[in-house]
Amino acid sequence: MLEIKNLSCGYDKVDVVRDITFEAKRGELICIVGPNGCGKSTLLKAIGKLIEYKGHIILDSTNIENLNRKELAKNIALMTQTNNIYFPYTVYETVSLGRYAYLKGSLSSLSKEDVDIVIEAIKSVDLIELKDKLISELSGGQLQRVFLARAFAQNPQVILLDEPTNHLDLKCQVEILEYLSLWAKKNNKIVIGVLHDLNLVNLFSEKIVMLSQGEVIGKGTPEEVFLEDNLKKVYNINVRGFMLKALKKWQ
Amino acid sequence: MHQYKKSLRTIQNNKRAIILLISLMFLILCIGASTGSSNTSIKDILSIIGYKIFAIPLAKGINNNDVAIIWNLRLPRVLLAFIVGGSLAVSGAVVQSVLKNPLASPYTLGVSSGASLGVGLLIVSGFSIPFIGKLTMPLVGFLCGITTVFAIVKFSSIVDKGMSNTTIILSGMVFSLFFNAILTTIAALYSEDIKSIALWQMGSFSMKGWSYVKIGLPFFAIGTIGVMLYCKEMDILSFGEEQAKSVGVDTSIIKRKLLILSAVLTGSAVAISGTIGFVDLIVPHLVRRIFGAKHKNVIPICIIFGGCFMVFTDLVARTIVVPSELPVGAITALIGAPFFAYIYLKKSK
Repeated sequence: MLEIKNLSCGYDKVDVVRDITFEAKRGELICIVGPNGCGKSTLLKAIGKLIEYKGHIILDSTNIENLNRKELAKNIALMTQTNNIYFPYTVYETVSLGRYAYLKGSLSSLSKEDVDIVIEAIKSVDLIELKDKLISELSGGQLQRVFLARAFAQNPQVILLDEPTNHLDLKCQVEILEYLSLWAKKNNKIVIGVLHDLNLVNLFSEKIVMLSQGEVIGKGTPEEVFLEDNLKKVYNINVRGFMLKALKKWQ
Repeated sequence: MHQYKKSLRTIQNNKRAIILLISLMFLILCIGASTGSSNTSIKDILSIIGYKIFAIPLAKGINNNDVAIIWNLRLPRVLLAFIVGGSLAVSGAVVQSVLKNPLASPYTLGVSSGASLGVGLLIVSGFSIPFIGKLTMPLVGFLCGITTVFAIVKFSSIVDKGMSNTTIILSGMVFSLFFNAILTTIAALYSEDIKSIALWQMGSFSMKGWSYVKIGLPFFAIGTIGVMLYCKEMDILSFGEEQAKSVGVDTSIIKRKLLILSAVLTGSAVAISGTIGFVDLIVPHLVRRIFGAKHKNVIPICIIFGGCFMVFTDLVARTIVVPSELPVGAITALIGAPFFAYIYLKKSK
């Protein structure tokens, strides 16, 4: 179980998110939702210990503050939003970097087991045919999947994803979320994602944490959180009405 | 083109490629040593080396004069050029990966401006450290260059705890511009020394014997071996800090170590030869294009390519307008700048 207790964090000593408390059980896919600038990505970075925070983050009774970077990487993987490519690495090379925390010594190379895990991770995002291609030659969606594969290669207990369905077409979006949901259930792991598409959130998440201006407005199952009042308060439009109108048009 | 690139990538772990590169290195070193105002055949050079190191009798027809020219002038010069070229290229590869910017170079970190200022002050003051005499200049250049990098790293970490790349690059620029301005002011005030300062800045390997090789070699060894230990971290850092942290790299510690190693390499190179540009920028760029970005391959190949490129440009510098000699820094830039423009334009098409 991952427990977030009274977490506050931000940049330049200004707290962007304040006093966040929620927990994620194993097997769950949790979505953090809220309008732009409400602190979703900041919260995710704090859980991945990329920025300093106040409060506690406890994974299976270990406070992550006590873990060094490598130990942390074996437990929590984070897929960030900006994935710029500066140098010509291949898909395989990129994904294999996910095994870094497991390597012993600076000169050791990947073991047979590491290689199997990397190949398995590439297969899981359906890129095995492109494994020797340069990542600079991939489409945005393929690149997104490469970084997801790298997160899988870390073999973590928790995967944090910042808008993982960005750049993906609808089919890919659904496939990735189905896969993540299945991955969490099958392996008894935790997925926490920041997502904008409320339809996908509604369909795939077990639990939702809804943020507005850095604070939790609601948490629980989609039915418990997506109440008319909450949605109106957070998004300032009639979300349900909009969705139904869209649905009607489809019919 | 893609097919070609791919074929080289697949041979990157192949022993044949390594043997090929090493033979290329020896060939260039031998050509460098054999060519000059009096040409000596490669066979004779090998004989002279054998004679000097293993006391194997000289081949027929080699006189003492040849031995003196090759052993005392050409060989140390060629080796020095190789060490400097290799150091600069490796240092460039490191800085580019750490700052995840393929256009960065160790000079971005102010090494050359710091070293130039130190040497400028030294020339103007006419100061010389007792006992080490002519080695005062490289020593001061090295210390000032490396101090500048430390200052920039320290300054960046004070301004920005996370030492982001933008902070480092901007700090480097600020320090460089400031030091250059001081140097310009000094040069204007002491106009009779302008020529010596300018000549030093242009870089040269002439009249530098084995004593320089002996000084340069340990720094080269420490720097390159140190860098080789962090190949994986450099791969990961190339993707940016956040990603590096999330796969388990302690970025601020590793970045600091790598920048210091790079400062040692560049500082010693600048100290030996003056400020020679472009090698640090184009060699890593070229190596990555041909052999891929993995630093396990990039670093050793950078040593070979950088070293060979420098031996070649030095050869051009000293043979093109015999009997006088051009500054090697000018030749690297003359060859380097158009080449780099070509690569850059080709990429952006």
